[in-house]
Amino acid sequence: MTTTQQDLSWLDDVTMSDLERNPYPTYERLRREAPLAFVPVLGSYVASTAEVCREVATSPDFEAVITPAGGRTFGHPAIIGVNGDIHADLRGMVEPQLQPAEVDSWVDDLVRPIARRYVEQFEDRGRAELVAEFCEPVSVRSLGDLLGLQSVSSDKLREWFHKLSVSFTNAAVDENGEFTNPEGFTPGDEARAEIQEVVDPLIDRWTEHPENTAISHWLHDGMPPGKTRAREYIYPTIYVYLLGAMQEPGHGMASTLVGLFSRPEQLEEVVDDPSLLPRAISEGMRWTSPIWSATARISTKPVTIAGVDLPAGTPVILSYGSANHDTGKYDAPTEYDLHRPPLPHLAFGAGNHACAGIYYANQVMRIGLEELFEAIPNLERDTGEGVEFWGWGFRGPTSLHCTWEV
Amino acid sequence: MSAISVDGRRVECAEDQSMLEAFLRAGIWMPNSCNQGTCGTCKLQVVCGEVDHGDSPLETLTAEERAAGLALACQARPLAETEVALRGSEPGRTTHVLRDLTATVVGVEEIARDTRRILLGLEEPLAFSAGQYVELLVPGTTERRPYSLANTAEEDKVLELHVRRVPGGVASEWLFGPVAVGDRVEVRGPLGDFHAPDADEDQGEPMVLIGGGTGLAPLLGIARTALARHPERTVVLYHGVRVEADLYDTDRLEELAAGHPGFSFVTVLSREAVRGHRHGYAPDAFVEDIAGARGWSGWLCGPPPMVEAGVKAFKRRRMAPRLIHREKFTAADAPAP
Ligand SMILES: Cc1cc2nc3c(=O)[nH]c(=O)nc-3n(C[C@H](O)[C@H](O)[C@H](O)COP(=O)(O)OP(=O)(O)OC[C@H]3O[C@@H](n4cnc5c(N)ncnc54)[C@H](O)[C@@H]3O)c2cc1C
Ligand code: HEM
Ligand code: FES
Repeated sequence: MTTTQQDLSWLDDVTMSDLERNPYPTYERLRREAPLAFVPVLGSYVASTAEVCREVATSPDFEAVITPAGGRTFGHPAIIGVNGDIHADLRGMVEPQLQPAEVDSWVDDLVRPIARRYVEQFEDRGRAELVAEFCEPVSVRSLGDLLGLQSVSSDKLREWFHKLSVSFTNAAVDENGEFTNPEGFTPGDEARAEIQEVVDPLIDRWTEHPENTAISHWLHDGMPPGKTRAREYIYPTIYVYLLGAMQEPGHGMASTLVGLFSRPEQLEEVVDDPSLLPRAISEGMRWTSPIWSATARISTKPVTIAGVDLPAGTPVILSYGSANHDTGKYDAPTEYDLHRPPLPHLAFGAGNHACAGIYYANQVMRIGLEELFEAIPNLERDTGEGVEFWGWGFRGPTSLHCTWEV
Repeated sequence: MSAISVDGRRVECAEDQSMLEAFLRAGIWMPNSCNQGTCGTCKLQVVCGEVDHGDSPLETLTAEERAAGLALACQARPLAETEVALRGSEPGRTTHVLRDLTATVVGVEEIARDTRRILLGLEEPLAFSAGQYVELLVPGTTERRPYSLANTAEEDKVLELHVRRVPGGVASEWLFGPVAVGDRVEVRGPLGDFHAPDADEDQGEPMVLIGGGTGLAPLLGIARTALARHPERTVVLYHGVRVEADLYDTDRLEELAAGHPGFSFVTVLSREAVRGHRHGYAPDAFVEDIAGARGWSGWLCGPPPMVEAGVKAFKRRRMAPRLIHREKFTAADAPAP
C-alpha cells in the first residue's frame, strides 16, 4: 500500500438495489476515495475511474473473466470470459460480419425498413412509449434478422434479453461469496431453455444447409470442410448476443433521446441536422453507458493498481458507466451536452475484449433515430410522465413517454 | 496564387479569391448560402495547409473552431497549398460555374411600397438553378450585395430581381436612386444552395413555400419550375408582408393558379386587417391551413426571424427537416447568431 488507508466501511452498507436504482452516488465517492476498491455486496474489486478502468482493461497482467452471476447465466465458453486460443477463435467467428466495410454493405437495407415499420405503427397516434414501442423493437428485430431468428417475434426477443439481463446482474453475494438471491437466476434459466428449443432446430438445419445468417456462419466459417463448431461451444456466445447485443442499442437510443430532451435546443439542432446524430449518440453512450458495469478482468500475477496490491487471480469489475462520469476527464459529467469536446469514452470498453459490435451498434442507433426524427420532427417528452433509469450492470430508461402534434 | 483541393480535385485560388469562389468558378460544388460570412453554411475542415480567415466574423466562426482547423470557405484565403474536407455533405458534386458578367439594366419598375423590380439584360445566357442568387457590385464602391433571381432556369437572358429599400443602405441608395435603364452593372453568380432540385431528382412531392417581402423572388422561380415539371402537383405559396401596399405580383400568381389546379397562394398581412387577405404571420397561417405536411418539401425565404418561425411551423406539421430549404436575407454586416 502506497496511499493513505481510506476508511471504506461505508461500502458495507451499499446494497444491490441501491446500485440498481442509482449507482452514481456510490461510484462518485469511490472515484474520489478509492478508484479501485473491494465492494462487499459484489464480492469483488471494482474499477471506477477512467484511468483505472483503462489500465485494467488493457493491462498485460490481466485477462478476461466472466462475473460469477454472468457465468451462472451464460455458461462456458462465453466470448466475454475466455482468453487465448478460444477467445481468438470466437472473435474470429463473430468479427467478419461486424467489420465496418461489411456492415456498410447491408446495414441500411436491414435497419431502415424495420425502423420505418415501427414508426408507422404510432406516428399518427400523437403519443408513444418509445422504449417498448421503438428503441427495443428496432434493436432486437435488426439483430434478430441478422442472426437468422426471423421466426422469433420481437416481443419474445425483448423478453429473452430482459430475463437474461436480470440473471446476469443478479450479482449480490454474502460474506462467504454465496449468491444472496439464487432464485434470481430462474428467469435466465427459463429464457435459456426457450432459446434452445427455438435455436436447436435452426442449428440442425444450418448444419446441413448453410445460410447467410450470422449463426449459420458461426457454425461453418473457418472450419474444415464437413465440420461445424459444436452447438455447446457457441451457445454461451449466442447468449451474449441475445442479452447485450439485443438490449444495448435500444438502451443507447433511449438514453440519447432522454439526454437530448434535457437540452431542447440541442434536440432541435439534431433534428434539423441529422449529421449531428453520431455525435449525439456518442454523448448519449458517455452520459448513460448501456453496459454500465458488466464485464471483468482477473489478474494473472501479483500487481499494484491505483496503489492497491492485488494477488494473482483477483477479479476486478470494470464500471465503464462510472468511468464515463469521471470529473478528471469531463466537465459536469452528469449533464448531457452534445457540444462537449468529443473525448474518447469507455462505453464500448477497452483492450482485446472491447465490444466487437461498435460499428454495427452505432449504425443501428443512427438509422433508428434518423427515421424517428424524419417521421416525427416535433417529438416532445410527455412531461406528465417521469423518466426513470434503472440498472447497475446494464442501464437505461425503463420507459420514455412522448407526445407530438398530429 | 495557391492551389486548393477537395476530394482529390485541385484548383488554383487567385490572391483576391476566397476558397469558395475558386471552387465554384471551377464548377465544384460546396455548401454555401450567404457568401458574406454571416450564415456558417460554408464551414469546412482544413485538412492540411494554411488559411487566412480574412473577415470571418467571430460570431460565425468561433476561436475554438479556428483552433480546431475549421474555416469559412467564403471568407478564407489559402496562404499555402491547402487541402480541405467538407463536413457531412456528399462529396464530388458539380455545380453551375460561378462567373463574372457585365449586364445592362433593361427595366426598373416600382412594384410596391419601397419595392422595385430590376431587370438585367445579359449578353450571353447564364446557367443557374431556379432560386439561386447573384451579387451586384454597387457602382463606385467595392461593396457587393446578393439578390435572388425570380427566374426559371430557362429565363437565362434577362435576370429579374426584386429589391426592397433599406433606408440609407449602400445598395438601396443606388437601386432606389440613380440606377437607370441602359446602365452597366457588374454581376457575379450564380450562388447559393437554395434552389429547385435537378429535374431527375424532383419527385413531384407537394410543396409549401413561404416568402417574406421580397423573399417572394426565388419562390416564383422555384414554384414555376416545379409546376412546369409536374403541372398537377400541390403547391401552396404564402406571401407574408406588413401591409397591403407591400404586396406585388398577385396578378401573376393568380394567372399561375388559373392554369394549375394544384397551385394556390395566400397573402398574409401582419400589420393590418384587410378583406381578401389573412391577418397575422405567414407561418401561423400555414399551421392553421395544413394539417399534416409529412412528405412535403418546404421552402422559406426572407427575413431571418420569419425563416426560423417557418422551420418551426413546418416541423410542427411533421415535415422532415431534410426537406426544409431556407434562404435568409441577412444584412451584409449582421452576422447571424
Ligand atoms: C442570400 C441573400 C439573398 C438576398 N436576396 C435579396 C432579394 O432578393 N431582395 C432583397 O431586397 N434583398 C435581398 N437580400 C438582402 C440584400 O442583399 C441586402 O442586404 C439589402 O438589400 C440591404 O443592402 P443595402 O446595401 O441597401 O444596405 P446596407 O448598406 O447593407 O445596410 C445598411 C444598414 O441597414 C441594416 N439593414 C440591412 N438590411 C436590413 C433589413 N432588412 N432590415 C433592417 N435593417 C437592415 C444594415 O445592418 C445596416 O446597418 C439578400 C441577402 C442575402 C444574404
Ligand atoms: C450501444 C450498444 C452497445 C454497447 C454500449 C456495447 C458495449 C460493450 C461493452 C462495454 C463490452 C465489454 C467490453 C470490455 O469488457 O472491455 C462489449 C462487449 C461485446 N460486445 Fe458490445 N455493445 C453494444 C452493442 C453490441 C452489439 C450490437 C454487438 C453485436 C452485434 C456487440 C458485440 C459484443 C461482443 C461480441 C462483445 C464481447 C467482446 C469480447 O469479449 O471479446 N455489442 N460491448
Ligand atoms: S456562405 Fe460562408 S458564411 Fe455563409
